[in-house]
Amino acid sequence: MIVMLDLVLRLALWLLLPPLLPGLINKVKAWVAGRRGPPVLQLYHDLARLWQKDVVLSNLASPGFVIAPAVAWVALVGAAMLLPLGPTGAAFGFRGDVLLLVYLLALARFATAWAALETGSAFGGMGAAREVSYAVLTEAALVAAVLSLSVQSGSITLATLLAPAAGAGAVLLAGGLFAVLLAENCRVPFDDPNTHLELTMIHEVMVLDHSGPPLAVILHGASLKLLLFSVLLTEAVLPLGRLPPFVAAAALAGGVLSVILGVGLVESLLARFAFRRVPLLLTTAFLLCLFSLLVAWNGGAA
Amino acid sequence: MTPGPLLSVAGVVLLLGLVVGPGRPQLWRILTLCGVAIGMGAAVRVLSGGGDWEWRSGFPLGGEAMHLRLDGVSALFLVLVCTVGGGGCVYGGEYWSDHHYPASAPRGRAWWNALLVSLGWVLLSANGLHFLLGWELFTVSAYFLITLDRQRLQVRAAGWLYLVASHTGTVCLFAFFALLAARTGSWDLGPLRGQAGLSSLFWLALLGFGVKAGLFPLHVWLPSAHANAPSHVSAILSGVALKMGVYGIVRFSGWLPVPAASGWVVIGLGSVSALLGIAFSVAQNDFKRMLAYCSVENVGIIFIGVGGAMLAVSHGDAPWGRLAMAGALLHVWNHGAFKSLLFLGAGSVLHAAGTREMSRLGGLWPRMPWTAGLFVLGSVAASGLPPLNGLVSEWLIYLGLFDAVAGRGPAGWAALPAILALATAGALALVGFVKTGALIFLGAPRTRAVARADECGWGMRVPMLALAAVCLAIGLAPVLFWPAVSRAVDAWHPAWATRESPAPLATLGLFQATLGILVATAAAALWYRAKSRGGRRAPTWDCGFRAPTARMQYTAASFAGITAGWFDWILQPMLRWRRPRGLFPTGAFRRESVPETVLERVISPVAAGVLRVSTAVRRLQHGRLQSYILYLVTGLLGLGVLVLLEGAP
Repeated sequence: MIVMLDLVLRLALWLLLPPLLPGLINKVKAWVAGRRGPPVLQLYHDLARLWQKDVVLSNLASPGFVIAPAVAWVALVGAAMLLPLGPTGAAFGFRGDVLLLVYLLALARFATAWAALETGSAFGGMGAAREVSYAVLTEAALVAAVLSLSVQSGSITLATLLAPAAGAGAVLLAGGLFAVLLAENCRVPFDDPNTHLELTMIHEVMVLDHSGPPLAVILHGASLKLLLFSVLLTEAVLPLGRLPPFVAAAALAGGVLSVILGVGLVESLLARFAFRRVPLLLTTAFLLCLFSLLVAWNGGAA
Repeated sequence: MTPGPLLSVAGVVLLLGLVVGPGRPQLWRILTLCGVAIGMGAAVRVLSGGGDWEWRSGFPLGGEAMHLRLDGVSALFLVLVCTVGGGGCVYGGEYWSDHHYPASAPRGRAWWNALLVSLGWVLLSANGLHFLLGWELFTVSAYFLITLDRQRLQVRAAGWLYLVASHTGTVCLFAFFALLAARTGSWDLGPLRGQAGLSSLFWLALLGFGVKAGLFPLHVWLPSAHANAPSHVSAILSGVALKMGVYGIVRFSGWLPVPAASGWVVIGLGSVSALLGIAFSVAQNDFKRMLAYCSVENVGIIFIGVGGAMLAVSHGDAPWGRLAMAGALLHVWNHGAFKSLLFLGAGSVLHAAGTREMSRLGGLWPRMPWTAGLFVLGSVAASGLPPLNGLVSEWLIYLGLFDAVAGRGPAGWAALPAILALATAGALALVGFVKTGALIFLGAPRTRAVARADECGWGMRVPMLALAAVCLAIGLAPVLFWPAVSRAVDAWHPAWATRESPAPLATLGLFQATLGILVATAAAALWYRAKSRGGRRAPTWDCGFRAPTARMQYTAASFAGITAGWFDWILQPMLRWRRPRGLFPTGAFRRESVPETVLERVISPVAAGVLRVSTAVRRLQHGRLQSYILYLVTGLLGLGVLVLLEGAP
């Protein structure tokens, strides 16, 4: 009974909270620019509206065009459910669940890129090609970060992996994971979530041909992924497992909020990079994670 | 029944199929299916705990007494031979039918059974000489299967390259078995871990079996052979024949002592194969070549696991080695299943559309929905994504390597780069499979031939469905397959036999199954919602452009451009193009192809040099008697001078 309640509450949290984050980022951006900005709850309205809207499909699209967003969404929800939530721990942790998390993110990527290619539009091709190619570097960085945490904690279960602090390499790890978060969630300086019609976009170009309920599912999934990465980053850096429960919960919430603030500030202060420089920046993120791994390795030996 | 009678019945039935096969396709299919089913029964019996089977007889074959043996390791590979052998035989009946290929189809049936029998023989024989006999027979039957369509120049070239490369490997194996026999005093094979003097022979085995397995610098024959063979033959070559190289390494690293450095070398070669194999795969434009290079990657993954296990054994029998080996052996099955599925799917696309160029295909899904769906399933499995089987084996290898890192021993330094290579190769495989699947099946047809394509018949669909079912079963219920794999691991290294399964496979299976159900439910729900919200159809919006043509879609080269660009140093792509000129430009083109770099930039120049030298030497032999007499006189004079000089002091 308790287990069921725990699962339902977690699921509710992971489903209801994420659309708040893009609203908060927009508020931060508006605040920096001195504007009033859209309401914080804007995405909730958008999702409700889209769910009611009609669907227009391309002549060329197969059923995969509608199925793939559902697959990506389920994969992201599954990945989120694997993640421990601060003091409450994970819903079902098992040895090696962290690898499953990485591969669930990859499944979501496969589905999104597949749906983008369904319509035969060159835009979809561009976006999907960029998404899957840059993800090679982000996945390498993510796995290096996981390795570093695993060396630090001697475990490959998310709950114990994320409980202690990241140790001496925490700053390196935070920097690397923050870059991964920005790239994976299509934020500035890798991508610009505000424009749709540029040839230079990644994620927004991939979802260009979607409409109605499938688009709602995609947007919800994207915000879920943002929350997932913020929680992962916070838990990787802060020693939440070592704190008393309420402090840990507050630290988690504070961490997620400061990540969101960081994203908003980066977005306000930086311009999007030229595509040539994206791999360079991602390689830097990978190297940061790799150095934090080496620091963790040496720290343990000493 | 014990495995003995089962195996002999299977052998006899398959040989009978070989004899009657050319004339009677129906009877051949029944006999072959019976044969592989019975052989499978024997292997399953051993894997389900029926005990190893060993048989010696005084009857000499080639001067050596017969010695056959079926233990966990060979039974695991035998299951694979039987699965793909049966599937390919059904598929080939429609794909390479007498109607379409009256000359080569009967030959193909006979060689198919010869291949199956010789593969089984290699797995069973526990005598070096007999192993070599079976190995050679297997190589030759595979050659004749590759060159079934020998009217085409490319096919003959691919077959010739395969034959030369395989025999280079066989030379190493001859040396390996002969030296082994010379040092132990008998051709008999079996566990000889105690004799430390034999360890240096492992390098010969690695070279010989590595050629067959397609490890990176030795893979040169693989892409062209797998691309040009008939697709059911590609399936068995890629799914099974490569695994014979893996079998050789697993077998002899288990039976013989290995040098201290061997684990490092094997895991290093595995990492390099995984990364570079998939880099080549992503850059291909020919979908069968793409699948072939992907096999190089998967063999690399298997060798990462095997190398990890060898390292664990040499570092104090660390228990994580058991996980790495289990992952590697399970990946042997998994790759066999999904790669055969993908090659069969590729075959039905080739059958329908008549081209292997991805950039000439497109929009095939409404014409071939079954093939499209099954190809996507295979692609998801091959990219190692949940909830299918590719993830399970890669996950086991990851667990083993992470434990090695956590142990912080020297083996950790090998495991770290291997983990990163495995992760990067997985992400690159995703690039390759999204590209291939989408270019073939999605969008609008790029050529007229594609628009006329039809779905394949049930004879080709059923084997694909069966292989897809294997992928699903191992993915959703991995715990059912664990006993078989763990028995094979125990046969490899008996010291681990007492340990319990350290991997929570049951939990993983539960998670994967739940995920599968949720994916299906969510997909159905969203589909229903989209249908109820109109689902109006309209042309694809292309920035307001009113007349988009199919050729304006993204191409293979542009999709893979970013990723392939990172590997230009090894891919060395060849680019030929002409810019459009003038007001009404004509004849502009751009052609990009990726050569087999190792073959064309390393081996071909060396071979050309050898040929030049031998051509120069051949000028001495011209058929003029006077000159030959001159050679003789000169030679004699030279000898005379030598004798004089020797005798002088």
